[in-house]
Amino acid sequence: MASVSINSPVAQSGVRNDEPGALGRAMLTTRGLIISRILFLAAVLLTWEFASGRIISKFWLSTPSAIMQTLWKWLHDGSLWVHLEATLTEMSLGYVIGCVAGVFIGLVLGFLPTVYRVVVPFLGGLYCLPKIALAPLFVILLGIDLGSKVALVAISVFFLILYATLDGIHDIDRDLVQALRIMGATRREIAMKVLIPGCLRWVFTGMRIAVRYAFTAAILGEVIASNRGVGYLIEAFSGQYNSTGVFAAMLVLVACSLTASELLTRWESSATHSKAGV
Amino acid sequence: MPRGDTMLENRPKPTPVSAANTGGAMVRMQDVAKDFSVRGKETRALQPINLTVNRREFVSLVGPSGCGKSTALNLVAGLLTPTSGQVFYDGQLVQGLNERVGYITQKDTLLPWRTAADNIAVPLELRCRNESRKVIRERVAEMIELVGLRGFDKHYPGELSGGMRKRVALARTLIYEPETLLMDEPFGALDAQLKLLMHDQLQRLTQQRKMTVMFVTHDLAEAIALSDRVVVFSARPGRIRAEREIPLDRPRDVFKVRFADTFSRLHEELWNELKDEVVKGTDV
Ligand SMILES: Nc1ncnc2c1ncn2[C@@H]1O[C@H](COP(=O)(O)OP(=O)(O)O)[C@@H](O)[C@H]1O
Ligand SMILES: [Mg+2]
Repeated sequence: MASVSINSPVAQSGVRNDEPGALGRAMLTTRGLIISRILFLAAVLLTWEFASGRIISKFWLSTPSAIMQTLWKWLHDGSLWVHLEATLTEMSLGYVIGCVAGVFIGLVLGFLPTVYRVVVPFLGGLYCLPKIALAPLFVILLGIDLGSKVALVAISVFFLILYATLDGIHDIDRDLVQALRIMGATRREIAMKVLIPGCLRWVFTGMRIAVRYAFTAAILGEVIASNRGVGYLIEAFSGQYNSTGVFAAMLVLVACSLTASELLTRWESSATHSKAGV
Repeated sequence: MPRGDTMLENRPKPTPVSAANTGGAMVRMQDVAKDFSVRGKETRALQPINLTVNRREFVSLVGPSGCGKSTALNLVAGLLTPTSGQVFYDGQLVQGLNERVGYITQKDTLLPWRTAADNIAVPLELRCRNESRKVIRERVAEMIELVGLRGFDKHYPGELSGGMRKRVALARTLIYEPETLLMDEPFGALDAQLKLLMHDQLQRLTQQRKMTVMFVTHDLAEAIALSDRVVVFSARPGRIRAEREIPLDRPRDVFKVRFADTFSRLHEELWNELKDEVVKGTDV
Protein backbone atom coordinates (compact mmCIF):
# COMPACT_ATOMS: atom_id res chain seq x y z
CA MET A 1 0.00 0.00 0.00
CA ALA A 2 1.57 3.20 -1.10
CA SER A 3 -0.12 5.28 1.58
CA VAL A 4 1.84 3.50 4.29
CA SER A 5 5.02 5.29 3.36
CA ILE A 6 3.42 8.54 4.49
CA ASN A 7 3.72 7.26 8.03
CA SER A 8 7.41 6.62 7.88
CA PRO A 9 9.43 8.79 10.25
CA VAL A 10 11.47 9.88 7.25
CA ALA A 11 8.46 11.47 5.61
CA GLN A 12 7.37 13.11 8.86
CA SER A 13 10.71 14.71 9.57
CA GLY A 14 10.51 16.35 6.18
CA VAL A 15 13.50 14.63 4.65
CA ARG A 16 12.21 13.30 1.38
CA ASN A 17 13.76 10.09 0.29
CA ASP A 18 12.28 8.00 -2.45
CA GLU A 19 11.77 4.32 -1.64
CA PRO A 20 14.23 3.33 1.05
CA GLY A 21 14.57 -0.11 -0.63
CA ALA A 22 15.84 -3.29 0.96
CA LEU A 23 19.46 -2.36 0.49
CA GLY A 24 19.21 0.90 2.39
CA ARG A 25 18.09 4.39 1.54
CA ALA A 26 18.30 5.62 -2.01
CA MET A 27 21.36 7.82 -2.34
CA LEU A 28 19.78 10.27 -4.82
CA THR A 29 18.11 13.60 -4.36
CA THR A 30 14.77 14.08 -6.07
CA ARG A 31 16.35 16.02 -8.91
CA GLY A 32 19.15 13.51 -9.31
CA LEU A 33 16.56 10.78 -9.45
CA ILE A 34 14.55 12.46 -12.20
CA ILE A 35 17.69 13.07 -14.24
CA SER A 36 18.80 9.47 -13.78
CA ARG A 37 15.42 8.22 -14.89
CA ILE A 38 15.50 10.36 -18.02
CA LEU A 39 18.98 9.10 -18.81
CA PHE A 40 17.86 5.52 -18.32
CA LEU A 41 14.90 5.99 -20.65
CA ALA A 42 17.10 7.68 -23.24
CA ALA A 43 19.59 4.83 -23.09
CA VAL A 44 16.89 2.23 -23.62
CA LEU A 45 15.32 4.16 -26.52
CA LEU A 46 18.66 4.79 -28.20
CA THR A 47 19.68 1.16 -27.88
CA TRP A 48 16.35 0.15 -29.34
CA GLU A 49 16.65 2.64 -32.19
CA PHE A 50 20.18 1.47 -32.90
CA ALA A 51 19.56 -2.28 -32.62
CA SER A 52 16.48 -2.16 -34.77
CA GLY A 53 17.38 -2.86 -38.38
CA ARG A 54 20.97 -3.71 -37.46
CA ILE A 55 20.67 -6.63 -35.04
CA ILE A 56 16.99 -7.49 -35.33
CA SER A 57 14.75 -6.71 -38.26
CA LYS A 58 12.68 -3.51 -38.12
CA PHE A 59 9.77 -5.61 -39.19
CA TRP A 60 9.56 -7.29 -35.77
CA LEU A 61 10.88 -4.61 -33.48
CA SER A 62 9.91 -1.34 -35.16
CA THR A 63 11.77 1.76 -33.86
CA PRO A 64 10.93 4.34 -31.20
CA SER A 65 10.94 7.09 -33.81
CA ALA A 66 8.49 5.24 -36.05
CA ILE A 67 6.23 4.56 -33.08
CA MET A 68 6.25 8.22 -32.08
CA GLN A 69 5.45 9.22 -35.66
CA THR A 70 2.52 6.85 -35.77
CA LEU A 71 1.23 8.10 -32.44
CA TRP A 72 1.59 11.69 -33.61
CA LYS A 73 -0.35 10.89 -36.76
CA TRP A 74 -3.17 9.23 -34.77
CA LEU A 75 -3.44 12.18 -32.47
CA HIS A 76 -3.28 14.59 -35.38
CA ASP A 77 -5.87 13.06 -37.65
CA GLY A 78 -8.03 12.09 -34.67
CA SER A 79 -8.26 8.41 -35.63
CA LEU A 80 -7.16 7.44 -32.12
CA TRP A 81 -10.11 9.05 -30.37
CA VAL A 82 -12.82 6.69 -31.48
CA HIS A 83 -10.80 3.74 -30.20
CA LEU A 84 -9.66 5.41 -27.00
CA GLU A 85 -13.18 6.54 -26.30
CA ALA A 86 -14.56 3.03 -26.79
CA THR A 87 -11.99 1.48 -24.45
CA LEU A 88 -12.32 4.15 -21.80
CA THR A 89 -16.12 3.98 -21.88
CA GLU A 90 -16.16 0.19 -21.50
CA MET A 91 -13.61 0.29 -18.80
CA SER A 92 -15.02 3.15 -16.73
CA LEU A 93 -18.63 1.97 -16.95
CA GLY A 94 -17.64 -1.56 -15.99
CA TYR A 95 -15.34 -0.29 -13.28
CA VAL A 96 -17.98 1.87 -11.63
CA ILE A 97 -20.63 -0.85 -11.83
CA GLY A 98 -18.19 -3.43 -10.43
CA CYS A 99 -17.02 -1.19 -7.59
CA VAL A 100 -20.48 -0.11 -6.49
CA ALA A 101 -21.85 -3.64 -6.60
CA GLY A 102 -18.76 -5.06 -4.91
CA VAL A 103 -18.81 -2.63 -1.99
CA PHE A 104 -22.56 -2.93 -1.62
CA ILE A 105 -22.70 -6.73 -1.63
CA GLY A 106 -19.54 -6.84 0.49
CA LEU A 107 -21.12 -4.66 3.19
CA VAL A 108 -24.38 -6.56 3.08
CA LEU A 109 -22.57 -9.89 3.49
CA GLY A 110 -20.35 -8.40 6.16
CA PHE A 111 -23.40 -7.35 8.14
CA LEU A 112 -25.27 -10.61 7.59
CA PRO A 113 -22.79 -13.30 8.62
CA THR A 114 -25.31 -16.11 8.26
CA VAL A 115 -26.03 -15.26 4.64
CA TYR A 116 -22.29 -14.93 4.13
CA ARG A 117 -21.71 -18.41 5.46
CA VAL A 118 -24.32 -19.83 3.09
CA VAL A 119 -23.02 -18.20 -0.08
CA VAL A 120 -19.28 -18.20 0.58
CA PRO A 121 -18.42 -21.44 -1.28
CA PHE A 122 -20.32 -20.27 -4.36
CA LEU A 123 -18.61 -16.91 -4.34
CA GLY A 124 -15.28 -18.68 -3.94
CA GLY A 125 -16.01 -20.84 -6.95
CA LEU A 126 -16.90 -17.88 -9.13
CA TYR A 127 -13.91 -15.94 -7.85
CA CYS A 128 -11.54 -18.70 -8.91
CA LEU A 129 -12.98 -18.84 -12.40
CA PRO A 130 -10.77 -16.85 -14.78
CA LYS A 131 -13.20 -14.13 -15.82
CA ILE A 132 -11.90 -14.20 -19.37
CA ALA A 133 -13.59 -17.59 -19.75
CA LEU A 134 -16.88 -15.70 -19.54
CA ALA A 135 -16.04 -13.46 -22.50
CA PRO A 136 -17.52 -15.72 -25.22
CA LEU A 137 -20.68 -16.08 -23.15
CA PHE A 138 -21.02 -12.32 -22.84
CA VAL A 139 -20.52 -11.94 -26.58
CA ILE A 140 -23.36 -14.37 -27.22
CA LEU A 141 -25.60 -12.69 -24.66
CA LEU A 142 -24.73 -9.04 -25.24
CA GLY A 143 -23.21 -8.80 -28.70
CA ILE A 144 -19.81 -7.50 -29.75
CA ASP A 145 -20.46 -3.89 -28.81
CA LEU A 146 -20.23 -2.03 -25.54
CA GLY A 147 -22.38 -4.34 -23.44
CA SER A 148 -20.23 -7.46 -23.47
CA LYS A 149 -17.05 -5.55 -22.57
CA VAL A 150 -18.73 -3.62 -19.79
CA ALA A 151 -20.01 -6.88 -18.35
CA LEU A 152 -16.57 -8.46 -18.53
CA VAL A 153 -14.91 -5.49 -16.84
CA ALA A 154 -17.65 -5.24 -14.21
CA ILE A 155 -17.45 -8.89 -13.23
CA SER A 156 -13.65 -8.79 -12.94
CA VAL A 157 -13.75 -5.67 -10.79
CA PHE A 158 -16.72 -6.86 -8.75
CA PHE A 159 -15.05 -9.89 -7.23
CA LEU A 160 -11.89 -8.02 -6.39
CA ILE A 161 -13.79 -5.28 -4.58
CA LEU A 162 -16.16 -7.73 -2.94
CA TYR A 163 -13.29 -9.65 -1.38
CA ALA A 164 -11.44 -6.46 -0.43
CA THR A 165 -14.55 -5.25 1.41
CA LEU A 166 -15.09 -8.58 3.16
CA ASP A 167 -11.42 -8.82 4.14
CA GLY A 168 -11.63 -5.30 5.50
CA ILE A 169 -14.67 -6.10 7.62
CA HIS A 170 -13.19 -9.35 8.90
CA ASP A 171 -9.96 -7.59 9.72
CA ILE A 172 -11.67 -5.18 12.10
CA ASP A 173 -10.76 -5.79 15.71
CA ARG A 174 -13.80 -7.15 17.53
CA ASP A 175 -12.65 -5.36 20.66
CA LEU A 176 -13.27 -2.02 18.94
CA VAL A 177 -16.85 -3.07 18.36
CA GLN A 178 -17.27 -4.15 21.96
CA ALA A 179 -15.71 -0.95 23.27
CA LEU A 180 -18.31 1.06 21.37
CA ARG A 181 -21.13 -1.20 22.39
CA ILE A 182 -20.27 -0.70 26.06
CA MET A 183 -20.50 3.03 25.41
CA GLY A 184 -24.03 2.44 24.19
CA ALA A 185 -23.59 2.43 20.40
CA THR A 186 -26.46 1.07 18.32
CA ARG A 187 -26.04 -1.38 15.42
CA ARG A 188 -26.20 1.50 13.02
CA GLU A 189 -23.62 3.50 14.93
CA ILE A 190 -21.28 0.50 15.03
CA ALA A 191 -21.65 0.19 11.26
CA MET A 192 -21.06 3.87 10.61
CA LYS A 193 -18.26 4.44 13.10
CA VAL A 194 -16.37 1.14 13.05
CA LEU A 195 -17.22 -1.24 10.24
CA ILE A 196 -17.35 1.17 7.31
CA PRO A 197 -14.36 3.37 8.18
CA GLY A 198 -12.48 0.22 9.17
CA CYS A 199 -12.79 -1.38 5.76
CA LEU A 200 -12.35 1.83 3.74
CA ARG A 201 -8.62 1.37 3.37
CA TRP A 202 -9.05 -2.15 2.07
CA VAL A 203 -11.68 -0.97 -0.39
CA PHE A 204 -9.38 1.74 -1.73
CA THR A 205 -6.51 -0.69 -2.10
CA GLY A 206 -8.85 -3.03 -3.94
CA MET A 207 -10.02 -0.20 -6.17
CA ARG A 208 -6.49 0.73 -7.11
CA ILE A 209 -5.61 -2.81 -8.04
CA ALA A 210 -8.92 -3.14 -9.87
CA VAL A 211 -7.95 -0.37 -12.34
CA ARG A 212 -5.43 -2.72 -13.90
CA TYR A 213 -7.90 -5.57 -13.94
CA ALA A 214 -10.47 -3.33 -15.59
CA PHE A 215 -8.04 -2.43 -18.35
CA THR A 216 -7.01 -5.99 -18.89
CA ALA A 217 -10.62 -7.11 -19.12
CA ALA A 218 -11.58 -4.31 -21.53
CA ILE A 219 -8.60 -5.00 -23.80
CA LEU A 220 -9.08 -8.77 -23.75
CA GLY A 221 -12.76 -8.30 -24.51
CA GLU A 222 -11.82 -6.20 -27.52
CA VAL A 223 -9.12 -8.58 -28.70
CA ILE A 224 -11.61 -11.44 -28.61
CA ALA A 225 -14.40 -9.77 -30.53
CA SER A 226 -14.93 -6.15 -31.43
CA ASN A 227 -14.76 -3.51 -34.13
CA ARG A 228 -13.21 -0.67 -32.16
CA GLY A 229 -11.10 0.08 -29.11
CA VAL A 230 -7.40 0.06 -28.31
CA GLY A 231 -7.49 -3.72 -27.93
CA TYR A 232 -9.04 -3.94 -31.37
CA LEU A 233 -6.20 -1.77 -32.71
CA ILE A 234 -3.61 -4.12 -31.26
CA GLU A 235 -5.41 -7.13 -32.64
CA ALA A 236 -5.89 -5.55 -36.06
CA PHE A 237 -2.28 -4.34 -36.39
CA SER A 238 -0.82 -7.62 -35.28
CA GLY A 239 -3.03 -9.29 -37.86
CA GLN A 240 -1.30 -7.09 -40.42
CA TYR A 241 2.16 -7.76 -38.89
CA ASN A 242 2.39 -4.02 -38.26
CA SER A 243 4.62 -3.98 -35.17
CA THR A 244 4.80 -0.17 -35.12
CA GLY A 245 1.04 0.05 -34.77
CA VAL A 246 0.99 -2.58 -32.04
CA PHE A 247 3.64 -0.76 -30.04
CA ALA A 248 1.93 2.59 -30.48
CA ALA A 249 -1.37 1.18 -29.25
CA MET A 250 0.39 -0.41 -26.30
CA LEU A 251 1.92 2.92 -25.39
CA VAL A 252 -1.53 4.47 -25.34
CA LEU A 253 -2.61 1.73 -22.92
CA VAL A 254 0.31 2.28 -20.58
CA ALA A 255 -0.43 6.00 -20.49
CA CYS A 256 -4.12 5.43 -19.67
CA SER A 257 -3.43 2.84 -17.00
CA LEU A 258 -0.80 4.98 -15.28
CA THR A 259 -3.06 8.04 -15.33
CA ALA A 260 -6.01 6.18 -13.86
CA SER A 261 -3.90 4.55 -11.18
CA GLU A 262 -2.32 7.87 -10.22
CA LEU A 263 -5.66 9.68 -10.05
CA LEU A 264 -7.02 7.01 -7.76
CA THR A 265 -4.01 7.18 -5.46
CA ARG A 266 -4.50 10.91 -5.10
CA TRP A 267 -8.18 10.53 -4.45
CA GLU A 268 -7.50 7.84 -1.89
CA SER A 269 -5.03 9.86 0.10
CA SER A 270 -7.33 12.85 0.19
CA ALA A 271 -10.41 10.77 1.03
CA THR A 272 -8.97 8.68 3.85
CA HIS A 273 -6.85 9.83 6.72
CA SER A 274 -3.60 8.69 5.26
CA LYS A 275 -1.88 9.17 8.59
CA ALA A 276 -4.03 6.77 10.53
CA GLY A 277 -1.26 4.23 10.37
CA VAL A 278 -3.36 1.20 9.60
CA MET B 1 -14.38 -16.71 9.48
CA PRO B 2 -17.34 -14.45 9.87
CA ARG B 3 -16.67 -12.81 13.17
CA GLY B 4 -19.51 -10.46 12.50
CA ASP B 5 -22.20 -12.48 14.20
CA THR B 6 -21.54 -11.10 17.63
CA MET B 7 -20.58 -7.67 16.35
CA LEU B 8 -24.01 -6.53 15.52
CA GLU B 9 -26.17 -8.37 17.97
CA ASN B 10 -28.97 -6.22 19.19
CA ARG B 11 -27.68 -4.56 22.24
CA PRO B 12 -29.43 -5.49 25.44
CA LYS B 13 -31.87 -3.02 26.90
CA PRO B 14 -30.25 -0.87 29.56
CA THR B 15 -30.81 -2.38 32.96
CA PRO B 16 -33.53 -0.55 34.88
CA VAL B 17 -32.41 1.39 37.89
CA SER B 18 -31.61 -0.12 41.26
CA ALA B 19 -33.50 -2.78 43.09
CA ALA B 20 -33.74 -1.65 46.67
CA ASN B 21 -32.68 -4.89 48.35
CA THR B 22 -29.01 -4.52 47.43
CA GLY B 23 -28.24 -1.75 49.90
CA GLY B 24 -25.00 -0.04 48.99
CA ALA B 25 -23.71 -2.72 46.64
CA MET B 26 -23.02 -1.54 43.11
CA VAL B 27 -21.18 -4.65 41.97
CA ARG B 28 -21.67 -8.01 43.59
CA MET B 29 -19.84 -11.11 42.42
CA GLN B 30 -21.35 -14.17 44.03
CA ASP B 31 -19.36 -17.43 43.87
CA VAL B 32 -18.15 -16.40 40.46
CA ALA B 33 -15.76 -18.77 38.71
CA LYS B 34 -14.50 -18.69 35.17
CA ASP B 35 -12.96 -21.43 33.04
CA PHE B 36 -11.50 -20.96 29.61
CA SER B 37 -11.24 -23.77 27.18
CA VAL B 38 -8.13 -23.52 25.09
CA ARG B 39 -7.87 -26.08 22.32
CA GLY B 40 -10.34 -28.35 24.06
CA LYS B 41 -8.58 -28.11 27.41
CA GLU B 42 -10.44 -26.45 30.24
CA THR B 43 -8.32 -24.18 32.41
CA ARG B 44 -9.58 -22.34 35.42
CA ALA B 45 -8.82 -18.63 35.38
CA LEU B 46 -10.83 -17.63 38.41
CA GLN B 47 -11.78 -19.77 41.39
CA PRO B 48 -15.15 -19.03 42.94
CA ILE B 49 -14.83 -15.55 44.39
CA ASN B 50 -17.14 -13.31 46.36
CA LEU B 51 -16.56 -9.64 45.96
CA THR B 52 -18.76 -6.65 46.61
CA VAL B 53 -18.03 -3.12 45.54
CA ASN B 54 -20.19 -0.50 47.19
CA ARG B 55 -21.65 2.54 45.55
CA ARG B 56 -19.02 5.32 45.35
CA GLU B 57 -16.32 2.99 46.55
CA PHE B 58 -12.86 2.83 44.96
CA VAL B 59 -11.62 -0.75 45.03
CA SER B 60 -8.28 -1.92 43.67
CA LEU B 61 -7.49 -5.45 42.61
CA VAL B 62 -3.84 -6.45 42.86
CA GLY B 63 -2.20 -9.78 42.24
CA PRO B 64 0.38 -11.55 40.11
CA SER B 65 -0.19 -11.43 36.39
CA GLY B 66 -2.45 -14.10 35.01
CA CYS B 67 -4.42 -14.39 38.24
CA GLY B 68 -7.68 -13.31 36.66
CA LYS B 69 -7.94 -9.60 37.39
CA SER B 70 -8.85 -8.67 33.81
CA THR B 71 -11.20 -11.62 33.71
CA ALA B 72 -12.99 -10.23 36.78
CA LEU B 73 -13.48 -6.85 35.09
CA ASN B 74 -14.65 -8.51 31.88
CA LEU B 75 -17.26 -10.37 33.89
CA VAL B 76 -18.53 -7.14 35.44
CA ALA B 77 -18.64 -5.49 32.01
CA GLY B 78 -20.62 -8.43 30.68
CA LEU B 79 -18.00 -9.23 28.06
CA LEU B 80 -17.67 -12.68 29.59
CA THR B 81 -20.24 -14.85 31.31
CA PRO B 82 -19.24 -16.70 34.46
CA THR B 83 -18.81 -20.47 34.30
CA SER B 84 -20.60 -20.62 37.65
CA GLY B 85 -21.98 -18.06 40.05
CA GLN B 86 -23.58 -14.72 39.30
CA VAL B 87 -22.52 -11.15 38.76
CA PHE B 88 -24.95 -8.47 39.87
CA TYR B 89 -24.75 -4.85 38.91
CA ASP B 90 -26.89 -2.49 40.91
CA GLY B 91 -29.00 -5.41 42.02
CA GLN B 92 -29.58 -6.75 38.52
CA LEU B 93 -28.05 -9.89 37.11
CA VAL B 94 -25.53 -8.94 34.43
CA GLN B 95 -26.66 -10.51 31.16
CA GLY B 96 -25.14 -9.22 27.99
CA LEU B 97 -23.09 -6.07 27.88
CA ASN B 98 -23.24 -3.81 30.88
CA GLU B 99 -23.64 -0.37 29.37
CA ARG B 100 -23.67 1.40 32.67
CA VAL B 101 -19.96 0.96 33.18
CA GLY B 102 -17.14 2.76 31.45
CA TYR B 103 -14.36 0.29 30.73
CA ILE B 104 -10.74 1.19 30.12
CA THR B 105 -9.45 -2.16 28.95
CA GLN B 106 -5.90 -3.36 29.25
CA LYS B 107 -5.81 -3.61 25.47
CA ASP B 108 -5.98 -0.54 23.31
CA THR B 109 -9.39 -0.03 21.70
CA LEU B 110 -8.95 3.39 20.10
CA LEU B 111 -10.20 3.73 16.54
CA PRO B 112 -6.98 3.92 14.50
CA TRP B 113 -8.53 6.10 11.79
CA ARG B 114 -9.60 8.83 14.18
CA THR B 115 -7.38 11.46 15.78
CA ALA B 116 -6.99 11.60 19.54
CA ALA B 117 -9.60 14.35 19.77
CA ASP B 118 -12.06 12.51 17.52
CA ASN B 119 -11.57 9.33 19.53
CA ILE B 120 -12.36 11.15 22.73
CA ALA B 121 -15.48 12.56 21.09
CA VAL B 122 -16.90 9.15 20.12
CA PRO B 123 -19.06 8.54 23.22
CA LEU B 124 -20.64 11.98 22.94
CA GLU B 125 -21.51 11.42 19.28
CA LEU B 126 -23.60 8.40 20.13
CA ARG B 127 -27.32 8.87 19.88
CA CYS B 128 -27.92 8.06 23.52
CA ARG B 129 -26.02 11.22 24.48
CA ASN B 130 -26.40 13.29 21.38
CA GLU B 131 -24.51 16.47 22.25
CA SER B 132 -24.20 19.46 19.92
CA ARG B 133 -20.94 19.88 18.02
CA LYS B 134 -19.99 22.89 20.03
CA VAL B 135 -20.47 21.15 23.35
CA ILE B 136 -18.52 18.16 22.10
CA ARG B 137 -15.63 20.34 21.00
CA GLU B 138 -15.46 22.14 24.33
CA ARG B 139 -15.68 18.99 26.41
CA VAL B 140 -13.04 17.26 24.30
CA ALA B 141 -10.68 20.20 24.73
CA GLU B 142 -11.27 20.06 28.48
CA MET B 143 -10.51 16.34 28.61
CA ILE B 144 -7.37 16.72 26.53
CA GLU B 145 -6.17 19.29 29.00
CA LEU B 146 -7.11 17.06 31.91
CA VAL B 147 -5.08 14.08 30.71
CA GLY B 148 -2.16 16.28 29.73
CA LEU B 149 -2.31 15.76 25.99
CA ARG B 150 -2.45 19.36 24.82
CA GLY B 151 -0.92 19.64 21.36
CA PHE B 152 -1.57 15.97 20.58
CA ASP B 153 -5.26 16.27 19.77
CA LYS B 154 -4.66 15.98 16.00
CA HIS B 155 -2.42 12.93 16.31
CA TYR B 156 -3.60 9.49 15.28
CA PRO B 157 -3.23 6.61 17.76
CA GLY B 158 -0.43 5.19 15.62
CA GLU B 159 1.54 8.37 16.25
CA LEU B 160 1.19 8.30 20.04
CA SER B 161 3.20 6.41 22.65
CA GLY B 162 1.61 3.64 24.68
CA GLY B 163 1.18 5.92 27.68
CA MET B 164 -0.44 8.60 25.56
CA ARG B 165 -2.86 6.14 24.02
CA LYS B 166 -3.85 5.00 27.50
CA ARG B 167 -4.57 8.60 28.42
CA VAL B 168 -6.68 9.07 25.31
CA ALA B 169 -8.63 5.96 26.28
CA LEU B 170 -9.01 7.36 29.78
CA ALA B 171 -10.29 10.67 28.45
CA ARG B 172 -12.68 8.89 26.11
CA THR B 173 -14.22 7.08 29.07
CA LEU B 174 -14.20 9.93 31.57
CA ILE B 175 -15.83 12.30 29.09
CA TYR B 176 -19.23 10.67 29.40
CA GLU B 177 -18.97 10.22 33.15
CA PRO B 178 -20.27 6.68 33.53
CA GLU B 179 -21.46 5.94 37.04
CA THR B 180 -18.95 3.09 37.36
CA LEU B 181 -15.41 2.93 36.04
CA LEU B 182 -13.58 -0.30 35.32
CA MET B 183 -9.90 0.41 34.81
CA ASP B 184 -7.39 -2.25 33.85
CA GLU B 185 -3.82 -1.16 34.51
CA PRO B 186 -4.51 2.28 33.07
CA PHE B 187 -1.27 3.88 34.22
CA GLY B 188 1.08 0.95 33.72
CA ALA B 189 2.86 2.62 30.81
CA LEU B 190 3.30 6.04 32.41
CA ASP B 191 6.41 7.43 34.06
CA ALA B 192 6.34 8.00 37.81
CA GLN B 193 5.68 11.76 37.76
CA LEU B 194 2.93 11.61 35.21
CA LYS B 195 1.37 8.74 37.10
CA LEU B 196 1.11 10.92 40.20
CA LEU B 197 -0.52 13.72 38.21
CA MET B 198 -3.02 11.28 36.79
CA HIS B 199 -3.75 9.89 40.26
CA ASP B 200 -4.53 13.37 41.43
CA GLN B 201 -6.90 14.01 38.53
CA LEU B 202 -8.56 10.64 38.85
CA GLN B 203 -9.17 11.09 42.56
CA ARG B 204 -10.63 14.53 42.04
CA LEU B 205 -12.90 13.39 39.25
CA THR B 206 -14.19 10.23 40.89
CA GLN B 207 -14.87 12.08 44.13
CA GLN B 208 -16.55 14.97 42.35
CA ARG B 209 -18.71 12.78 40.12
CA LYS B 210 -19.42 10.25 42.88
CA MET B 211 -18.18 7.36 40.76
CA THR B 212 -17.73 3.74 41.72
CA VAL B 213 -14.37 2.37 40.59
CA MET B 214 -12.82 -1.06 40.12
CA PHE B 215 -9.15 -0.51 39.49
CA VAL B 216 -6.69 -3.22 38.44
CA THR B 217 -3.01 -2.57 38.96
CA HIS B 218 0.23 -4.34 39.71
CA ASP B 219 1.51 -1.29 41.60
CA LEU B 220 0.68 -1.76 45.26
CA ALA B 221 1.54 1.82 46.23
CA GLU B 222 -0.79 3.11 43.54
CA ALA B 223 -3.55 0.84 44.81
CA ILE B 224 -3.17 2.07 48.40
CA ALA B 225 -2.91 5.73 47.46
CA LEU B 226 -6.11 5.68 45.41
CA SER B 227 -8.39 3.13 47.04
CA ASP B 228 -10.89 2.77 49.80
CA ARG B 229 -10.21 -0.95 49.77
CA VAL B 230 -7.50 -3.14 48.27
CA VAL B 231 -8.18 -6.73 47.27
CA VAL B 232 -5.22 -9.09 46.90
CA PHE B 233 -5.65 -11.98 44.51
CA SER B 234 -3.74 -15.24 44.79
CA ALA B 235 -1.70 -16.65 41.93
CA ARG B 236 -3.52 -18.41 39.11
CA PRO B 237 -6.20 -19.59 39.34
CA GLY B 238 -7.18 -16.48 41.19
CA ARG B 239 -9.06 -16.33 44.44
CA ILE B 240 -9.20 -13.52 46.97
CA ARG B 241 -6.34 -13.88 49.39
CA ALA B 242 -6.78 -10.71 51.43
CA GLU B 243 -8.91 -7.61 51.60
CA ARG B 244 -7.92 -4.45 53.40
CA GLU B 245 -9.76 -1.20 54.04
CA ILE B 246 -7.56 1.85 53.49
CA PRO B 247 -8.36 4.27 56.30
CA LEU B 248 -6.74 7.31 54.79
CA ASP B 249 -8.74 10.52 54.78
CA ARG B 250 -10.22 12.02 51.65
CA PRO B 251 -9.38 14.09 49.79
CA ARG B 252 -5.88 12.71 49.78
CA ASP B 253 -2.76 14.47 48.67
CA VAL B 254 -1.52 11.77 46.32
CA PHE B 255 1.95 13.31 46.33
CA LYS B 256 2.37 13.21 50.09
CA VAL B 257 0.18 10.34 51.14
CA ARG B 258 2.91 7.79 50.59
CA PHE B 259 5.06 9.35 53.28
CA ALA B 260 2.40 8.87 55.96
CA ASP B 261 3.03 6.20 58.60
CA THR B 262 -0.29 4.53 57.95
CA PHE B 263 0.65 4.23 54.32
CA SER B 264 3.91 2.39 54.92
CA ARG B 265 2.26 0.11 57.46
CA LEU B 266 -0.47 -0.79 54.98
CA HIS B 267 2.07 -1.24 52.27
CA GLU B 268 4.10 -3.67 54.33
CA GLU B 269 1.04 -5.58 55.45
CA LEU B 270 -0.31 -5.98 51.93
CA TRP B 271 3.06 -6.67 50.43
CA ASN B 272 3.44 -9.61 52.83
CA GLU B 273 0.26 -11.04 51.40
CA LEU B 274 1.19 -10.29 47.85
CA LYS B 275 4.83 -11.36 47.71
CA ASP B 276 4.18 -15.10 48.28
CA GLU B 277 1.69 -15.02 45.46
CA VAL B 278 4.03 -13.16 43.16
CA VAL B 279 6.71 -15.77 43.83
CA LYS B 280 4.19 -18.53 43.13
CA GLY B 281 2.92 -16.70 40.10
CA THR B 282 6.29 -16.27 38.47
CA ASP B 283 7.46 -19.88 38.62
CA VAL B 284 4.43 -21.05 36.68
N1 LIG C 1 -9.88 -15.35 26.29
C1 LIG C 1 -9.13 -16.21 27.00
N2 LIG C 1 -8.97 -17.48 26.54
C2 LIG C 1 -8.24 -18.36 27.24
N3 LIG C 1 -7.61 -18.09 28.38
C3 LIG C 1 -7.71 -16.85 28.88
C4 LIG C 1 -8.48 -15.85 28.21
N4 LIG C 1 -8.41 -14.72 28.93
C5 LIG C 1 -7.64 -15.00 29.99
N5 LIG C 1 -7.23 -16.27 29.97
C6 LIG C 1 -6.40 -16.93 31.00
O1 LIG C 1 -6.98 -16.68 32.24
C7 LIG C 1 -6.01 -16.34 33.21
C8 LIG C 1 -6.30 -14.99 33.80
O2 LIG C 1 -6.10 -13.98 32.83
P1 LIG C 1 -6.29 -12.44 33.12
O3 LIG C 1 -7.61 -12.23 33.73
O4 LIG C 1 -6.00 -11.72 31.86
O5 LIG C 1 -5.14 -12.19 34.18
P2 LIG C 1 -4.58 -10.80 34.74
O6 LIG C 1 -5.37 -9.70 34.17
O7 LIG C 1 -4.72 -10.93 36.22
O8 LIG C 1 -3.15 -10.73 34.35
C9 LIG C 1 -4.68 -16.39 32.50
O9 LIG C 1 -4.06 -17.60 32.82
C10 LIG C 1 -5.01 -16.34 31.05
O10 LIG C 1 -4.10 -17.10 30.33
MG1 LIG D 1 -4.77 -8.25 32.90
